[in-house]
Amino acid sequence: MRSFQRHRILWYGLIAALPLVLGACSVFLGRYPVSVRDIGALAAAALTGQGMDPVHFSVIVHVRMPRIILGALVGGSLAVSGAAFQGLFRNPLVSSGMLGVSSGAGFGAALALILFDRYVYVYPFAFGFGLLAVVLCFFIGRLTASTQAITLVLGGVIVGSIFSALISLLKYLADPYDELPAIVFWLMGSLSRAEYDHILTAGIPMIMGSVGLMIIRWRLNVLAMGDREAHSLGLNVTANRIFIIVCATLATAGAVCVSGVIGWVGLVVPHMGRMIIGNDNKALIPVAFCMGAAFLILVDDISRLISTSEMPLGILTSLLGGPFFIYLLRRTRGREW
Amino acid sequence: MAADQNQTLIEMKNAAFSFGRIPVFRQVNLKIARGEVFCLLGPNGCGKTTLIDCMLGIHTLDTGRLCLMGQSRTRHSPGETARVMAYVPQKHDRHFSFSVLDLLLLGRTPYTAFYASPGKPDIEKAEKILELFGLSHLMHRDYTRLSGGETQLVMIMRALIQETPVIVMDEPTSHLDFRHELMVLETLARLIRERQITLVMATHFPNHAFYFENAGIPVNVAFMGNQSVKPSGTPSRALTQENLARFYHIETVVMTQTLPGKGRIRQIIPIKTLDRETKGTP
Repeated sequence: MRSFQRHRILWYGLIAALPLVLGACSVFLGRYPVSVRDIGALAAAALTGQGMDPVHFSVIVHVRMPRIILGALVGGSLAVSGAAFQGLFRNPLVSSGMLGVSSGAGFGAALALILFDRYVYVYPFAFGFGLLAVVLCFFIGRLTASTQAITLVLGGVIVGSIFSALISLLKYLADPYDELPAIVFWLMGSLSRAEYDHILTAGIPMIMGSVGLMIIRWRLNVLAMGDREAHSLGLNVTANRIFIIVCATLATAGAVCVSGVIGWVGLVVPHMGRMIIGNDNKALIPVAFCMGAAFLILVDDISRLISTSEMPLGILTSLLGGPFFIYLLRRTRGREW
Repeated sequence: MAADQNQTLIEMKNAAFSFGRIPVFRQVNLKIARGEVFCLLGPNGCGKTTLIDCMLGIHTLDTGRLCLMGQSRTRHSPGETARVMAYVPQKHDRHFSFSVLDLLLLGRTPYTAFYASPGKPDIEKAEKILELFGLSHLMHRDYTRLSGGETQLVMIMRALIQETPVIVMDEPTSHLDFRHELMVLETLARLIRERQITLVMATHFPNHAFYFENAGIPVNVAFMGNQSVKPSGTPSRALTQENLARFYHIETVVMTQTLPGKGRIRQIIPIKTLDRETKGTP
C-alpha cells in the first residue's frame, strides 16, 4: 500500500491501459494470421470506402473484434459484480454468482437448448432465469421477515443448489449425442459465439449494471461497516442494498447469458484488485472492471491459441488464475485481508 | 451560545418498543439538552442498546414520539438522523482493511450525494481532526491494524467529522485499558467543553458519570430497568447508595475527596453484591 500511495496515478494509468493494450494486441492473435499491414489496409478501406480482402476483413471485423469487445464486457461485468457483492455481504468469499444468477442462467440455457432447435432462445432464457433466481433469493429472505445479508446469502445457497439439481435433471433427460454436449459446453463458458447483435443486446444490461455500480461505488464503503453503522452514517441501507443487487444481477446475468458460466473472474479478480490498490471501493470498482476485462481478453487469447478446438474458458480461467493468485498472495502476504 | 444552552435536542415522549411480543421499554419520557452528558445506566440486558437504536432510528418506536431538534415524527430518515446524531459503536466488526483516512471520510456520508464521494474539503476536514488528536501519522495506516484505543479514537473522530450536535456512544470504553479509558474520557470532556457537543452514552460504569461531573460538565443520569427509564438528575443526586442498591443490587460507598487544584472529586466504590430480595434497602 505504501508504494502504491506514491505511484497512485501511475498504477491507475497502467491498469486502465491494460485492457486496451491487450485488446489491441489480440486482434493479431489467432489461427488466421493478421499483420499490422492488414490493419492499415482496413483503416484505408474504411476511410476511402474501397474494399479489401473480404476474408481479412471478416476475420478482423466480424470474428476478432466482437470477441475482444465481448470478452472485455463480460470480464469487466463479472469482476465489478463480484467486487460489489463482496463489499455488500462483507464477505471476501462471495462471487458474482452469489445469489444464484449463474445456476439460474445455466438452467435457462439448458432448458432452451432442449426445447428449441434454434440457439437464439438461449440468451433470453438464460437471462430470464438468472434474474428469476435472484428474485427467489429475495423471497426466501423475506420468509424470515428480515432483509439481513445473511438470509440473502442463505437464499442464494438454496436457490443455487436447486437450480444445479435442475440442470443435472435436464442433462439426464437431454439427448446424449446432440443436446447434452451443447449444455456441457455452454456451462463451461465460451466467447466463440460473439456477434455484434449479441453484444448489443447483452451489452445493455452489462453496461447498465456496471455503470450503476460505478455510480454508487463509494457507498459500498459505507455498507461495508455493517447495517447499524451504515444506517447511523445516514444511509438507507435497504434501498442502497437493493440498488446494488439489481445492478450486480443485471451485469452478471447479461454476461452469463452470452458467454456461459465463466467461474473465477467474479471471485478472484476483485481480490487481485484489492491486493494492488486496496479495499477502497471508490478505486476498486473501476480497477476491478479493467482487470476483469484484461483478464478475460487474455484468457480468451490463450484459449484460441492453445489448441485447434477452443478450450472452454471456465477451465482456463481457473488454471491460469490460480497460479497467478498464489503469486499475488506470496508477493503481498495477503495483507489486504 | 448561551441562549442555546438549554435547548432540547432529543426528546422522547411516551415511547414504547418491543421485539415482537417481548416488551423492551414503555412510557419512556426523556429530554436531552445541548451541551450536556446524558448517561444511561442499567444492568446487562435491560435494553440500553435497544433504546439507543430507537434514538438512532435503527428500530422504529411502537408508540410515542421522537423529537430531534424540535422535529417531532414517528420516523426520521437515516440522512436526517445522521445530521443530528453521530454514533460510535460499542463493537466494530472489521471486515475490510481500509485506510484510516477512508474510514474517517465515511463520516461525510450524510453530506454526500448517492453518486458522489467525499472530495477535497472533506479530506481537509479529516486531516484537521487527525491533527487535533495528534494522530496525523495514522492517516494512511490500515485501520484493522490499530490498537483498541486507537480504533476507538478513530471512531470518535469519524463521529466528529459527521459534524452533528450530538454524539451517541454505546459503552465508550469497553475493551480499553486503564490509560486509554482515561484518554477517551479526557478527549470527550474536552470536545464537550470546546465544541458544545452533547454526549449520549450508555455505560456500565457509573463512575463515568462522576468523571464528567467532576470535570464541571452538566451531566444527567437515567437508570434503565424493569422496562422503564427513570431520569434521576445529576450524578451527585442520582448515584446514591440507595439507587445503586435498587438498580444493580450492590452495596457501594460514594467517596468525596477534595484535591488541591482539582476541586471536589467523587467516585463510587463497590463493596459487595446484595441478594435480589433486598430491594431498596441497603
